[in-house]
Amino acid sequence: MLLVARKNLFSERTRLAISVGGVALSVLLIMLLLALYRGWDEKVGGFVEASDIDVWVASEGAKDFLAAASLLPAGGQEGQQAAQYLDSRSDIEKWSQLIVRQMEGVKVEVEGEGQEKLGKEMNLQYVGFDLETGLGGPIEIKEGRGDPGANEVVVDEALDKRYGVGLDDIVRAGGTDWKVVGVSKGGDFVATQTVFVNHEQAQLALKMEEKTTFVVIQMTDTADIQDFRDTIERNSPELVTFSREEFATNTRERVLSNVIPILLMVLGLAFIVGLAVSGLTIYTATVEKQREYGILKAVGFKNSFLYRVVLEQSLVTGVLGFVIGVGVTFVITLFASDFVPQFVTYVRPVDIAFVAVVTLIMSAIAAYIPVRRLASIDPVAVFKA
Amino acid sequence: MSEGNSVILGMNGVTKIYGDGDSATVALDNIEFNANAGEVVVIMGPSGAGKTTFLTIAGALLQPTSGTVTISGEDITNMGEKGLPDVRREKIGFVFQSFNLLESLTALENVMLVMTPDRARGEAGKNRAKELMSIMGLNHRLHSLPKNLSGGEKQRVAIARALANNPDLILADEPTANLDAKRGREVMLLLRQIAYEMHKTVVIVSHDHRIREVASRIVWLEDGTFRSDVETAKDPVCSRVVEVAGAPQVEHIGVLFYFCGEQCQKIFQATPEKFSDAAAS
Repeated sequence: MLLVARKNLFSERTRLAISVGGVALSVLLIMLLLALYRGWDEKVGGFVEASDIDVWVASEGAKDFLAAASLLPAGGQEGQQAAQYLDSRSDIEKWSQLIVRQMEGVKVEVEGEGQEKLGKEMNLQYVGFDLETGLGGPIEIKEGRGDPGANEVVVDEALDKRYGVGLDDIVRAGGTDWKVVGVSKGGDFVATQTVFVNHEQAQLALKMEEKTTFVVIQMTDTADIQDFRDTIERNSPELVTFSREEFATNTRERVLSNVIPILLMVLGLAFIVGLAVSGLTIYTATVEKQREYGILKAVGFKNSFLYRVVLEQSLVTGVLGFVIGVGVTFVITLFASDFVPQFVTYVRPVDIAFVAVVTLIMSAIAAYIPVRRLASIDPVAVFKA
Repeated sequence: MSEGNSVILGMNGVTKIYGDGDSATVALDNIEFNANAGEVVVIMGPSGAGKTTFLTIAGALLQPTSGTVTISGEDITNMGEKGLPDVRREKIGFVFQSFNLLESLTALENVMLVMTPDRARGEAGKNRAKELMSIMGLNHRLHSLPKNLSGGEKQRVAIARALANNPDLILADEPTANLDAKRGREVMLLLRQIAYEMHKTVVIVSHDHRIREVASRIVWLEDGTFRSDVETAKDPVCSRVVEVAGAPQVEHIGVLFYFCGEQCQKIFQATPEKFSDAAAS
């Protein structure tokens, strides 16, 4: 590093702290927003991706797991014909019906005879799955059982964190009280959490006898999934099918498509904040040292040397701000979700690299205006006392 | 370094005009000037005479409108901004009125900073800087910041800096103006030492009559030209050298005193005895 750049930078500690702090704040904001986005992306699409379902069949208009605005026949002539068709296909490993509905629920605590205390209202993604195939059921059981029977439910661990719902607790949802018999992982959709009951219980509770939301299918390893989907959609135009990836993407879009523009705007603002703080401090430092730059020019230093001095000051500020910003990000992401459950974050190395590049760009732009000012300094001015 | 009486700074027919048309101002008018190795040339003259223009052209900071400028035999007149910085750095040492040290650097670092890369490499650069600081009597101030140095010390650091690249030419702009009499004299003697012992060409622009003491020759610059027929006197109040012709004057105890302006004249008239003895000496 150039001596002048280092000395200029570290001789004004307060200004250095402000400048580095500004960049660090900007880096922190950008990192946190990216980490939040990644965290939500991971959570929201993760359940569909981790399920063993290769094809999701829904009624026309439905396209994702969260809205689940689908209604399919589960019994009667139509249902039986569908079941026979699916059973007859050799490229299907297994299939089952799956009920999904968003609803509100509360934890119920019995405090005495006839007296109960209701907890906070919870947004639930109520899932009725087939115990035999397990398709659409809990991804992983952390505690208890994964085969809920009558009036039994398996809840996602996120419900425990947010609402204190654990084993043997009672959750009231859809007009029924459900006893928690298991706690699962992987069903947190940030804004809503999955609770799992068996398919028959869901039909009864939701009065959906002979109806279901989705038909979910696991294909054999050698099956041509696209060909199967094309056949279904050709023969039954009222149905739509989705591959696992499509369904996960659609589910993500349901949540994140509204968030992404906001994220981008805040990312832009964070960039501008960092740029403004570092730019202004580098600029004022340059203006303050204008006479000294004039001296350097007078005694024979070329403009390119002066540009390097300013650029190096800006880069060092950027690097220090980046290191501090990333460090604080890691600390915050470690503990934030303990205090704010929705603060689900995931820091990816590629995002750190991205922010490093953004910081470099920020530093280069911050140095640009001061550098232009340097070019206009007249060394003759140093002869004036 | 050039030897003997070779011309280090040469100006032939140098004219500098600022602006054009009706607003054109002639700062230097067909100047002929040579300064040789080993001599101290002092350029004096009233404010606005063109001294700073002369110095900046001699210092490769400004290009003349016409004429040629040579430094150590090299014609720098038509050098562009690409070549002039190298000339300034390698062939010229600058000493400024207000010292112009970099405030965040220590005295030693100020000297080392200006060294060309080949001189600054490794320990050699540091040793050279220390040697210069030692010549300036500043061994004990190597790691002091400029804010902790006296005016005289700052100017000595500036002289050491000017010598860092062993240039042939030292240009000094009012080097004693910000110093008291004692420090000013120290600096003057240092400049003379540099010219005589190191065989450098020292060109000083100054108003300070004391600087005459170290001059090999003095030239008077007025209205952009050098004049040889100028009778000068010392202003007893501010110690500036003034041209007798046209200067305000006061007679006191049978002696004529000349002043740079009315303000000094009035100060003198208020308490002439305070200044007349010093002026007489």
